[in-house]
Amino acid sequence: MAQAEIPYQEAMPLHHPHSWVTKYWFSQDHKVIAVQYGITAMAVGLIALLASLLMRTQIGFPGAIEWITPDRYYQAVTMHGMIMVIYLLTAFLLGSFGNYLIPLMLGARDMVFPFVNMISYHVYLLSVVILLASFFVPGGPTGAGWTLYPPQAILTGTPGADWGIITMLLSLAVFIVAFTMGGLNYITTILQARTRGMTLMRMPLSVWGIFAATVLGLLAFPALFVSAVMMILDQVIGTSFFMPAIASSFEPSASEYSGGSPLLFQHLFWFFGHPEVYIVALPAFGVVSDLISVHARKNIFGYRMMVWAIVWIGVLSFVVWAHHMYVAGMHPYFGFFFATTTLIIAVPTAIKVYNWTLTLWRANIRFTVPMLFAIAFVITFVVGGLTGLFLGNVIVDVPLSDTYFVVAHFHMVMGVSPILVIFGGIYHWYPKITGRMLNDTVGKLHFWITAVGTYVIYFPMHYLGFVGVPRRYYHNEPLGESAFYPASAELLNQGISIAAFIVGAAQLLFVYNLFVSYWRGRPAGDNPWEACSLEWRTPQTPPIHGNWSDTLPTVHRWAYDYSVPGEKEDFIPQDVPHRA
Amino acid sequence: MAQAAAAGHATIFEDWGSDVTTFKGVPWGKAMMWIFLLSDTFIFSCFLISYMTVRITAAEPWPNASEVFSLTMFGAPVPLLLIAIMTFDLITSSGTMALAVNYGYRRDKKKAIRFICATAFFGAVFVGMQAFEWTKLISEGVKPWGNEWGAEQFGACFFMITGFHGMHVSAGVIYLLIVAWRLHKGVYDKTNYEIVEIVGLYWHFVDLVWVFIFAFFYLW
Amino acid sequence: MSSEVGQQHPLSLYFWIWGLLFVVSAGSYFTDFMEAGYLRWTLILTFMLVKAGYIVAIFMHLKWERWALIYALLLPPGALLVLMGLMAWESWDYTWLSRVVYFGEDPYPLRCPDAANPNCVPMAH
Repeated sequence: MAQAEIPYQEAMPLHHPHSWVTKYWFSQDHKVIAVQYGITAMAVGLIALLASLLMRTQIGFPGAIEWITPDRYYQAVTMHGMIMVIYLLTAFLLGSFGNYLIPLMLGARDMVFPFVNMISYHVYLLSVVILLASFFVPGGPTGAGWTLYPPQAILTGTPGADWGIITMLLSLAVFIVAFTMGGLNYITTILQARTRGMTLMRMPLSVWGIFAATVLGLLAFPALFVSAVMMILDQVIGTSFFMPAIASSFEPSASEYSGGSPLLFQHLFWFFGHPEVYIVALPAFGVVSDLISVHARKNIFGYRMMVWAIVWIGVLSFVVWAHHMYVAGMHPYFGFFFATTTLIIAVPTAIKVYNWTLTLWRANIRFTVPMLFAIAFVITFVVGGLTGLFLGNVIVDVPLSDTYFVVAHFHMVMGVSPILVIFGGIYHWYPKITGRMLNDTVGKLHFWITAVGTYVIYFPMHYLGFVGVPRRYYHNEPLGESAFYPASAELLNQGISIAAFIVGAAQLLFVYNLFVSYWRGRPAGDNPWEACSLEWRTPQTPPIHGNWSDTLPTVHRWAYDYSVPGEKEDFIPQDVPHRA
Repeated sequence: MAQAAAAGHATIFEDWGSDVTTFKGVPWGKAMMWIFLLSDTFIFSCFLISYMTVRITAAEPWPNASEVFSLTMFGAPVPLLLIAIMTFDLITSSGTMALAVNYGYRRDKKKAIRFICATAFFGAVFVGMQAFEWTKLISEGVKPWGNEWGAEQFGACFFMITGFHGMHVSAGVIYLLIVAWRLHKGVYDKTNYEIVEIVGLYWHFVDLVWVFIFAFFYLW
Repeated sequence: MSSEVGQQHPLSLYFWIWGLLFVVSAGSYFTDFMEAGYLRWTLILTFMLVKAGYIVAIFMHLKWERWALIYALLLPPGALLVLMGLMAWESWDYTWLSRVVYFGEDPYPLRCPDAANPNCVPMAH
């Protein structure tokens, strides 16, 4: 391997902070920016959690809180979905994990353009502010559902159809700008600023997952951006990109609309939306691979296969989008094409699951909190993935569409699974970020309530879906005698809601743990988990601005040399040379 | 070396399999600009694909671009005259940009700055002509929400796509002027002047987009 | 950052390409005076691709970059071709036909095999 090239990063000029403001607010240090992204995403995520609890209150106990009107219910549904997918999961996995891990794991001083990176966070913050402002505009936030389908999203009758939807779309457009600035940095850093010896095939899988997800983001978010622009134009100046003439029969004032195509929006939205699923899933795949390998004291099984699986999932994710649209009234021939590609994408995904399982097989597993979350992820992902096979087939999807079966499926596979990885990742890297361990007992309590609660919440939903309970319904009451699903469903809904309250409250344990451990946690030392990858090899913990001493580390091996036969230690860090 | 492309496809595996950098000899800024342009390609393509979709699905006749965009010269309408002039203007600016890049790499700072300013000038002229075109169309009754010749998406797509392109040109003019000013101040003197190539990439991309808009919007 | 010298090419090359771009653009413009038909469409697309090719290959220097970069830039837009193809198929073969069949008249009768119709836009189908 040629090692003659000198990494430009070694002599990279850094903008050192001079005051509190430049150190913690306008910092150009990727680690500070990562924490900023993380805190903002978690804060806005708590709002989304609150929205979901409002929904569950209404579903489990209809009418218990009169404040929850149908409008507010739909607004809660929408904001919960949108915040969780975009502002929490995407922002956390890429903005926080991406920012923190890429330079440290690659042995770089910082991102290639720290200033752009700093701007990226502040633009993200602006998008969050616009999003939160939508709660206070006349009419409240949009209640169109997170997919924002026109024509209903911008027609009177949908809550927030004027100001709410505009602020939402504006916030998304701003978010995309923020993501683009961050994403360009991540990709350029990964491709052009690795340290000596760090080939792509020696990168930890976390970086691979973040890399593939960022590429997907840069190529998929444009479709959302474009559809947001067009919908704003439809709403504000009365163009008809998405608005057919029939929309005016619902709304006399909308009589100027004619000839638009609502299907076009759905295609554009899902051309973004399906890669988005993998934008969330791929970093989670990567991070969990590292967690499992470290805490199982075993090299990841089939590293190359894992990398290629990530790449192929990324490629295929651009040709499966319309499996979200089987009942949308698209071209009838599309079902065959998209069902086929959807089932093909299950192959690399299954390869990853086998490899995680085989990594655990006969391993020296340490049941630390991160490991518990990682194992819970694998199980949850398998459950969610299997129901995905059901829904990927047109004939099975048609009756199940828009029922709780779908809700259960996507919460398992792209809601809870990545969240479990985020928790696992925080428990894993908190010692590096702060120098202190998170409390183990509180962590385990948090884990068991969250993991078990997940199943209590989402398992019964599969059944609800099979008996035909539709999603997004305010309540079943007006149907009365003719209600088309059994009364037992109501009882299940109550149980699910109670579980949701408990799981929701348990997240406070986590927040408490984060705060208290920052001051009272057990000092962690440099490498508490005895891990191999470079981020544990910084001269200081927490790492200083610039990460490394005068020279960057040189990498001699992959990140998974655990339990190597014949070695004294059960792990060999990446920067340790091979014995002569 | 950048010129080593002729070395063959085997270099793909060497480059992607190597440490430190994947794109050999490509400065960070240039790599970032290329990746940004790839992302921007997706934005413009999504706009154009949306335009294609609403145009094909339109049940009303689509206005004839050749007539709508004609200018009357010497008493007879000349189709697409202004658009043709705009096209030649943009190509001219691309040429001056290419020369600026070339002089930049020859470390001929003065000429590079001069050609960058020329490029910015042609860009500004383009935006001016676009403003004229918009004003003329609006006064003739083409609005984003309707026109008298047929499908209302005609105006909507026109204003959206050319507007987005025009914003790119305007941003490019500002970007060019900033780079020219900073070059003049000597900010880039310690580098290889690759900044000229980076801003050049952006500018050629703007021209490239216009090629597709010209073919698909004006000629279809 | 880079110690290597960037793109160095003789000026004559740029002038050549510059001239060619003018010629191709002129050709592209004159397709507008042609009868609608497959020939015109072929010319429009050919001129478009030739122009785009010259700009990307020569002016943006992609021709002289290493294959690692060329492929990284040229492969991803394939996803757009899939989107474009499927959207064209659906718009014409399904959405537009349904609209005509259920809601009204065909503004271009049968997409006109009748070439005399100036509105005729022959579509590959």
